[in-house]
Amino acid sequence: MTRRVLTRWLIVLLGLHGLVVCAGFFSPYNPAEQDRNHVYLPPQLLHLVDPTGHLHFRPFVYPWKLRPDTPDLREEDTAHPLPLRFFVNGAHYRLLGVFPARLHLFGGEDTRICLLGTDAYGRDQFSRFLYGGQISLLAGFLGAALTLLLGTLVGSVAGYFGGLIDDALMRFAELFLALPWLYLLFALRAFLPLAVSPLKAFFLIIGVIGAVGWARPGRLIRGVVLSAKERDFVRAARGFGATDRYLLWNHVLPETRGVILTQAAILIPQFVLAEMTLSFLGLGVPEPVPSWGNLLSNLQQYSVLVSYWWMYLPALLMVPFFLGYLGLASSLQERTETYMIERRSLGGVT
Amino acid sequence: MGLEMTALLAVQDLHVSYRSRGGIAFQALTGVSFQLMPGEILGVLGESGSGKSTLAASLLRLLPEHGQITKGSVLFEGKDILQAGSVELQGIRGSRISLIFQEPSLALHPTMRAGEQVRQVLAAHESLPKRVLKEKTRQVLATVFPEEEGRISHSYPHQLSGGQRQRVLIAQSIACGPSLIIADEPTASLDPTTQMEILGVFQSLREKLDLAMIFITHNPALLAGFADRVLVLYGGRIVEVGAAATVLASPQHPYTKALFRSVPRPLERPRNGEKVKLPAIPGDSLPSSLPSEGCPFEPRCADRMDLCRKREPELIRIGGTQAVSCFKFES
Repeated sequence: MTRRVLTRWLIVLLGLHGLVVCAGFFSPYNPAEQDRNHVYLPPQLLHLVDPTGHLHFRPFVYPWKLRPDTPDLREEDTAHPLPLRFFVNGAHYRLLGVFPARLHLFGGEDTRICLLGTDAYGRDQFSRFLYGGQISLLAGFLGAALTLLLGTLVGSVAGYFGGLIDDALMRFAELFLALPWLYLLFALRAFLPLAVSPLKAFFLIIGVIGAVGWARPGRLIRGVVLSAKERDFVRAARGFGATDRYLLWNHVLPETRGVILTQAAILIPQFVLAEMTLSFLGLGVPEPVPSWGNLLSNLQQYSVLVSYWWMYLPALLMVPFFLGYLGLASSLQERTETYMIERRSLGGVT
Repeated sequence: MGLEMTALLAVQDLHVSYRSRGGIAFQALTGVSFQLMPGEILGVLGESGSGKSTLAASLLRLLPEHGQITKGSVLFEGKDILQAGSVELQGIRGSRISLIFQEPSLALHPTMRAGEQVRQVLAAHESLPKRVLKEKTRQVLATVFPEEEGRISHSYPHQLSGGQRQRVLIAQSIACGPSLIIADEPTASLDPTTQMEILGVFQSLREKLDLAMIFITHNPALLAGFADRVLVLYGGRIVEVGAAATVLASPQHPYTKALFRSVPRPLERPRNGEKVKLPAIPGDSLPSSLPSEGCPFEPRCADRMDLCRKREPELIRIGGTQAVSCFKFES
């Protein structure tokens, strides 16, 4: 049962990440391409039925035109429907960052189709969302990997060797837990040069968010290691001459796998949010490279906040990603627990 | 007297204590000394809490973290194990001395195949080419599973019966050809039929491999016809030691006597269907009920004297091989 739930969440996440990973194919335009004539265009709805009531199998959108009686309100220009074209050739991109291609899932004929509207520079928000996901999710992944690496290292050393080492490492971890980490991020970021290339800034962010979060998973892993090393089979292996390295690697660390996976599923969205926080404050990946953080940083301006509601849409689209991770985390945890219970009851059978 | 020259294992005045949270130490073993000759089987007899398992663990320095060897020496093949460095110790464990734990279902790794677990012991001590290692693993498993070595080798512990698991543990323990095996209640969790089967395995190993063995149990019946010598522990002290035939047939210490009386004899039916109560030793041997002074068995002893409360008796040799720590035998 838990297995099926787990697979379901995995499929959902794989699908969502597929969209982001193949952003070049799924997004119709280059995320940095500007169109100053069409700034802050509202999202275009996909239609299947025209005003006369005819059903079309090819979806189409209407371009926006200014309402004649107002200076800035727009309405759909139903006289000029723009049919969607599928598998069209458009802007050049590199699929997965490697293979040059120019095929896109969909696109317009000559007018741009912007499903999520455009931003202050007339850039397609939909394309920016998908491309921004690449940056933000990758930062989340790498940050979580770094954190878990540090956490596993500290936790297993502290739990396995115990004594003074344990005390010292755990007090150090508590220090990290007690720090207000958001301000620590600011401080860390502030000490580093402000004007850095996007790539450098990206790795900086990963380094910063990865380095502050290790304490909590570290403590969890320590707990698992503490109980794992007391198991009879570990004692038995020691009695047969096993070295510490062997015991750690073969008997103790495999037991932490469940906790590490669960923690990863919790940490990735958390770190994506951390990246967003930094970017929102202008300390993240700089423009014109899109990231989920700087996609939302437009909302800092009051005028945007009140006039262009569609600038919120990216935030809404991120929710399924985070929900997916949290669902994965909870079913992973359930699975780990079932596994533990099964193992415990196995011990009683002779 | 020449005896010490040939002894495989010489334990001298071993003291082990456990620290509790409040810093109060509990003395688990007090002044335990004995010797083991190559190829000899020593049966260690005692009830729960007598220090049997502590003895087994301290010989290989595998005590839990709060356990501490406070005094004594364990000379194995002339080297003091208590002074050995960690690398040296790892070389001895599993290779020269093997320890078999009580609970075979917990002592095996649950997600590793049986053959692999044996192979790992070999690999830890000998750097052999893969093929040789594989062949040696097969041979070792075949000594304990003459018939279905192949199937067992590929099974996970949960697919094996209790007796089979214990055999896998035995295979692990003999893999590197040790000269001493310490078996800590190896049959306690098995049913009587399997117990005898495993005992048979130990017996045949002894004939084949010329092993010395320390066989720890609470059941005197298992030692009859198997052990060469028997050592009886009570409250962390040796109360009686001697040749198995002598000790089992004519125990001298009041504790040993009482212990043997309380073993049920299924074949002795009371006449006329009368019910006869099994004689039990009054009191218990919990650490809290052990006296702080005098003989540890004094509160429960039927033959106690005034002297017993004042000081501790020492092991007194009676007869050729037997020694008893009781004032009754002091001349």
